Amino acid sequence: MSLVSTDTMKPGPSMLARLVARQELALLLCLILVIAFFSFTAENFFSVRNITNVLGQASLALTAGIGCAIVFMSGEVDISIGSLLATIALPLIIIMNDTNSLVLGIGGALLFGLIIGVVNGYLTAYAGINSLIVTLGTMFIMRGGVYLYTGQRAIPDDAALDSFIALSDGRLFNIIPYSAVIAIVLLAVFAYMMQHRPFGRQIYAVGGNPEVARLAGYDVRRVKFICFIISALLATVAGIILAARVGSAQHTAGLNFEFQVVAATVLGGVSLAGGIGSLTGMALGVLILQFLSNGLRGLGLPTEWQLVITGMIIIAAVAFDEAKRRRAIGG
Amino acid sequence: MDMSELTQSSAPSRFIGGQLLGSSQLVLGVILAVLCIAISIAAPQFYSEANIIAILRQCALVLIVASGMTMLIITAEVDLSVGASLAFVGCIGMAVLNSTHSLTLGLLAALAFSGAVGLFNGLVVTRLKVNSLIATIGTMMMLQGGVYLFTREAVQNHHRLASFTDLGAGYIGAIPLPVVIAALIFALAAATLRFTTLGRYLYAVGANERAVRLSGVRSERLKLFAFVVTGLCVGVAGMILSSLMNAGQPTAGRGFELTVIAAVILGGTSLLGGRGSLLGTLLGVLVLKVIDNGIIILGWNQDLQMVVPGIVIILATYLDIVRNRANVG
Repeated sequence: MSLVSTDTMKPGPSMLARLVARQELALLLCLILVIAFFSFTAENFFSVRNITNVLGQASLALTAGIGCAIVFMSGEVDISIGSLLATIALPLIIIMNDTNSLVLGIGGALLFGLIIGVVNGYLTAYAGINSLIVTLGTMFIMRGGVYLYTGQRAIPDDAALDSFIALSDGRLFNIIPYSAVIAIVLLAVFAYMMQHRPFGRQIYAVGGNPEVARLAGYDVRRVKFICFIISALLATVAGIILAARVGSAQHTAGLNFEFQVVAATVLGGVSLAGGIGSLTGMALGVLILQFLSNGLRGLGLPTEWQLVITGMIIIAAVAFDEAKRRRAIGG
Repeated sequence: MDMSELTQSSAPSRFIGGQLLGSSQLVLGVILAVLCIAISIAAPQFYSEANIIAILRQCALVLIVASGMTMLIITAEVDLSVGASLAFVGCIGMAVLNSTHSLTLGLLAALAFSGAVGLFNGLVVTRLKVNSLIATIGTMMMLQGGVYLFTREAVQNHHRLASFTDLGAGYIGAIPLPVVIAALIFALAAATLRFTTLGRYLYAVGANERAVRLSGVRSERLKLFAFVVTGLCVGVAGMILSSLMNAGQPTAGRGFELTVIAAVILGGTSLLGGRGSLLGTLLGVLVLKVIDNGIIILGWNQDLQMVVPGIVIILATYLDIVRNRANVG
């Protein structure tokens, strides 16, 4: 928000500089460059099939990233989402195996996710514990709980409902994976909320300056509480998609997922300090990383290189962004 | 809360007793005592000499890295790459040891590498102004990928040097060598924080970096120092770990960073910087490892070793907040 206002007030820089100064445009440019680069260098990269595949793969991080970004914007962090992915797969698969009902399974998973969100949100917003500590704690508790319950063995999906399998295999009009459709719809709904609904403005205000937000009459605690619930529910949706993809509840599901999502979110220009960033930026951040990893694989590079290059790009992108911001303040 | 933070950061109290009562360490000490009593009632062998030495040995690795990490978190930064670095350092140290037959060269290589990782993290954070949580997630990814590019399998110990085996398994008197090393590093770090100007500046940078810079001190250098120290601690811990496992394991150290940070936070060091102590970190490490040990001794499911610390971290932080509120109000 503050970026936009300084841009419009200063007539100085050239057209191009102003365009680059808009975070989302710069990211979009990066995404186009990445896609263009691999289209020329990697085989079978620029095909409808591959690009829709990448969208399907990105749907997990896109969905959970919405929640991650919203919690960041409110000035908190949630690193429990990776463990949550593994945890909610248990009620989902177990209920489906027992009842043969996808709706009941998803209902059970969402209820579980809701409870986790309430716990994270209550401990942070009302008990006043640092959110990094809270979600580090619940991350341990959930992962340990899954190990305990499963005895470190996967629980297979015996029901094998067509509707559940369609979540991973199915494609809308035979083109776009359903998981990507779900992610895009959720993204649109929450982007609308952040930009055009009072609650979105409250989140920005609370993250930007809690003191001012309180003086303006916002219930800071309630806003943060709800942000954690949103984050847990969206991670639950991601967990359901993942369970459909692997066809079981895996105790190792979502290991390090929180780091990938945090990295993509920050790459997308959402500040850890709160109050800054957009869901569009987050989505572009996720897509850049996903296309990059897909393209590198297309070039035949081992997955280890993908990790190394992704790590470098995250540091470089945030450093670049920070330098730009300081120049904007200084000049 | 703000009041107590101010008083604690600006003037560390003179008496150890006063400091104990004035911070979260009292809560932690009580938790530790209750744990020890409860476990020893349920399982008398808890208080055997062998078991206490086993607990101390398990504390050593975490305490070594937590000593550096405490300094770093006091300056309001954090390092998530220590787990990945621990694995990489072990592999590099073992590889150098294998090709040179020299423990000194192996150790030097490990320290040089881990120090360089710390330096890199520090430069990225202080020069490029990247948030340390993000910067070190980036480094973590690079190291995780890098170690597999370096070696896909464990680097075996080909030249069974006695001095290298002693690093993990040796004793000085009745005390395991890793415990002695950990105690030395801990004492050095604690003395630096409590009794030197450098230590006082580290607190000051974490409490109010702007004020420190305005008073003419280069705050970036202090943070850089804390990053490099953390890196060097990882180097020592990595070599001890590879000695214990008799190999450099690229998969070692998964989740190690979280255990270390949990111990430091549990010890009452504030993630916001400027507040905390190594005594607290020691208690934090002990609490976590006594829990681990108790779970094994009582014959409980070992997966509880993840669940219980999670509860303890949240509970201890909450009790600290409640106590602070009671003190202020």
